[in-house]
Amino acid sequence: MMENVFLPKLAKIVKNEKMTAMEHFLRLQLLDKKTAEEFQYNLGQFIEISIMGVGEAPFSICSMQNQKYLLDLCIRSGGRVTSAILRLGEGSLVGVRGPYGNGFPLKEMEGSNLLLVAGGLGVAPLRSILQYSLKNRAKYRDITFFYGIRTYDTMLFRDEFNSLLAGGDESGCKFYLSYEDPKDEQCLLLEAEYSDRCMSGVVSKLFERTEISPKDTYAIICGPSIMYKFVGQELTKRDVPPERILISLERRMRCGIGKCGNCIIGDGSSIRYVCKDGPVFTYWDALHTKGMI
Amino acid sequence: MAKPKIGIYGLTGCGGDQLMILNLENELLDLLRNVEIVAFQEASSVQQDEEVDIAFVEGSVSTELDLERLKDVRKRSRMLIAIGDCAIGGCVQAMRNQEMTMKEKMEEVYGKGEEYFKVLEPYGLSKYVNVDLELQGCPIETTEIRQVFLSLLHGDTPEIKDYPVCVECKLNEYQCLLVDKGMPCLGPIIAAGCNARCPGLGIDCVGCRGPIMNETNAAEELHTLLEKGYDERYIENRLRFFGANFEGILKLSKMLREKTGGARGK
Amino acid sequence: MTSESLDAFVNNLETYGKIYGPVKTGESCSFQEISQSKEMALNYSRTMIPPKKFFLKLKERMFIFDERECEYEETLEDGKIVVFGIHPCDIYALKLMDKIYLDKNPDKYYQMRRENATLIGYSCHPDEYCFCQSQGTNYAVDGFDLFLHELKDKFLVRIGSEKGNKIASENSKFFMDVESSDIQEFREAEGKREKEFTLKLAINGLTDMLALSYESDVWKEYADKCFGCGSCNLVCPTCRCYDVVDNVNMDLKSGERQRMLNSCMLKKHGLVYGGKNFRPTRVERLRNRFNCKGSLREDMMNCVGCGRCTVYCPSKIDYVEVLRRVRGEL
Ligand SMILES: Cc1cc2nc3c(=O)[nH]c(=O)nc-3n(C[C@H](O)[C@H](O)[C@H](O)COP(=O)(O)OP(=O)(O)OC[C@H]3O[C@@H](n4cnc5c(N)ncnc54)[C@H](O)[C@@H]3O)c2cc1C
Ligand code: SF4
Ligand code: SF4
Ligand code: SF4
Ligand code: SF4
Ligand code: FES
Repeated sequence: MMENVFLPKLAKIVKNEKMTAMEHFLRLQLLDKKTAEEFQYNLGQFIEISIMGVGEAPFSICSMQNQKYLLDLCIRSGGRVTSAILRLGEGSLVGVRGPYGNGFPLKEMEGSNLLLVAGGLGVAPLRSILQYSLKNRAKYRDITFFYGIRTYDTMLFRDEFNSLLAGGDESGCKFYLSYEDPKDEQCLLLEAEYSDRCMSGVVSKLFERTEISPKDTYAIICGPSIMYKFVGQELTKRDVPPERILISLERRMRCGIGKCGNCIIGDGSSIRYVCKDGPVFTYWDALHTKGMI
Repeated sequence: MAKPKIGIYGLTGCGGDQLMILNLENELLDLLRNVEIVAFQEASSVQQDEEVDIAFVEGSVSTELDLERLKDVRKRSRMLIAIGDCAIGGCVQAMRNQEMTMKEKMEEVYGKGEEYFKVLEPYGLSKYVNVDLELQGCPIETTEIRQVFLSLLHGDTPEIKDYPVCVECKLNEYQCLLVDKGMPCLGPIIAAGCNARCPGLGIDCVGCRGPIMNETNAAEELHTLLEKGYDERYIENRLRFFGANFEGILKLSKMLREKTGGARGK
Repeated sequence: MTSESLDAFVNNLETYGKIYGPVKTGESCSFQEISQSKEMALNYSRTMIPPKKFFLKLKERMFIFDERECEYEETLEDGKIVVFGIHPCDIYALKLMDKIYLDKNPDKYYQMRRENATLIGYSCHPDEYCFCQSQGTNYAVDGFDLFLHELKDKFLVRIGSEKGNKIASENSKFFMDVESSDIQEFREAEGKREKEFTLKLAINGLTDMLALSYESDVWKEYADKCFGCGSCNLVCPTCRCYDVVDNVNMDLKSGERQRMLNSCMLKKHGLVYGGKNFRPTRVERLRNRFNCKGSLREDMMNCVGCGRCTVYCPSKIDYVEVLRRVRGEL
């Protein structure tokens, strides 16, 4: 019997926790043991989650592959599927398809410095790389993480990042935080305590705080679409070659496997499917594919 | 879970949209099991002025009383859904909006020197209050109201079709009346949802569902039909019949009026 | 095969599945089920909806679900079909569709129907909207099971697959060996046909021209004329975009997932979270459409020159004219 790639596999919600006013942490476990074991993913790949009667939407997996075959996601509610996920309690079932997309070239990045730049919800896929690189610390040189938030309330994975702030360089990663609302009290408190690692402004301002060595650094950016232009420019100014700047894109997706065409972008000389050619592209791709960023 | 409370109200309109809800018949009974209807103007005379989860409002705001009632309903409802073209753009009632003053219109209909009740130029609800969802149609489609009900009861925001009738023609493989027969079809600028009923029957779309919000290329419709040999005034009337209050058509009318220096037959 | 045998041959095709052929529907043509060859309008220029509808349906149910049973259940209908009378451009278009739908993640619905179908090509003559010659898609080399070339009182039949070969041998009574005079006649007919093309589009370097003209005013100019009605995409044999919706039944527990063809000329095609639209106006949408069609994605031209989008555009936006403007020829 031919496999039907569109038929979702059932997964149980083992955790559905509120993180902020908008975002939930979701942990899924595939019901079928064999499916779960075969479910090997690259960091940066995404899955399609189906809710019966509501629809289907793509989400990045936000943790590294683990022994228990659990899939962690961070979901911002507001649309049909995302609001429906919010309603579901632990133990409920959802449909899962995937993993889809290319993911980050972790092997290729070995031996280099990593600079991870996250804006808002973009932190989700980058968290998985952070987890992985900290766990395989010896494979990478310096690891730097820039995280831009609007206010303290909107900060995701707060405990994890606070402990990185508190741990300083001992934590294995240089963590920097920027916040957009200059009057946010909790952020001001953080800044008072970690003045060298926390500042107000947009995430690209954090470049003022640290030196990066362009020759041996991979930069990975994920966030709202306008961020790519600004951060990309900052990095190019610092001579990081565009093919070593990685971005992860969001587009409307219906299939995740290069069929439905909703994610098509580009120009006559370079038409790309975000779902199957991406979602991870290089900044070089972006410079040579119109309409990508 | 408590059953959601639903109110169905009518302002100035023909009641046709409420009728379409009644047309659900057997299905209606099934649906009713899942909701509590606290007000339904067309189906009973009982009106309870309590809080509702979802208010469906039909008709345009054409009198001070309409406006008062609308504001009251808005205050009492968590979600307000405008049903039918009247509640969205004023529909047929708004055909002469901004062409004549209200006084002129009343005089034309009722004669000079009569005492009129307090009237306003007919507009949709969103001119006055925040509307959560608009269901286009004159009247609305039973299939659509059914889908909206089911979606809401399932807990989701209903998906409303925001593309033109042409899409439905193609999905049904109906012959294109405009291209093949040169008929004055308004399908390219009118919101789908009727499953292209008229073109399917060989009748050109008159636009009863109203133009697509913020997407209407009315100028091109005029241009296309002029090229097919139709008269400008005829086309304009056709466009205004159901869509007079929609931005693209208003603009077009204004342009045409300026062009002819305001001189217009009645 | 002689012209007289056509009826009997078509009748015999029933063995291989339900027969569909081009039938006149009003002023247009459409592939419909037929029982006899005379129902077909074999001298048709183009159908409004291309034969892709047999494989990627205009709308279809993908599967049903039930929340109570926690079950997804596929709904696939099976059945063999014969599509008779396909033109070369549409055969090329299906080759492109195959590359997309039968890749490493094959679409089961498409795949099954494709395997169940027999494609029989039929020669045609260009009208003023055809420019397949420019796109290099005016002569089908493969991608069909059988191809019938109409000559004076006979058909020259080409066999394009094993399936085609099987049909030919099982119906050998209709076929005669090709004589050298037939080849001569075929050659002359093809040569004459090559000269019949009036509409031409220069496609060399078009991909780069499109990229270079990304900011061109041409897009705005045509976007002002465009309705954003999606007809151009929906009638295009190589447009494969579709949208998906879930419909719930009255019990609120069960329902179906449905997909239907979509178009990048519609607002929803570029819409994402928070109401952000990557192609907010008709300018970006029209530009996207032409860039997509003019690309060599999947290593072949994404437009096969069938002329449908021009013919069925209510606003008469002419595909070839737009691209010539992009090239700076007009
Ligand atoms: C590769 C990838 C990875 C992603 N990873 C994550 C992740 O980790 N976490 C996460 O939260 N999200 C992620 N997203 C985004 C996520 O897929 C979207 O939030 C999701 O698709 C929304 O689906 P929905 O059904 O909830 O919204 P829908 O109801 O489908 O609506 C989609 C959006 O369109 C808008 N919309 C719909 N109809 C209209 C209309 N008529 N007018 C105006 N606007 C309208 C809505 O505002 C909504 O935001 C990712 C997306 C991609 C492509
Ligand atoms: S008949 Fe009318 S609605 Fe249908 S495709 Fe033609 S123009 Fe559009
Ligand atoms: S773009 Fe137009 S001419 Fe080209 S294949 Fe599609 S419909 Fe035919
Ligand atoms: S032209 Fe538009 S509708 Fe057609 S395949 Fe490309 S993106 Fe899809
Ligand atoms: S068919 Fe014509 S009017 Fe309609 S979207 Fe395409 S180009 Fe625009
Ligand atoms: S999501 Fe369907 S093609 Fe990319």
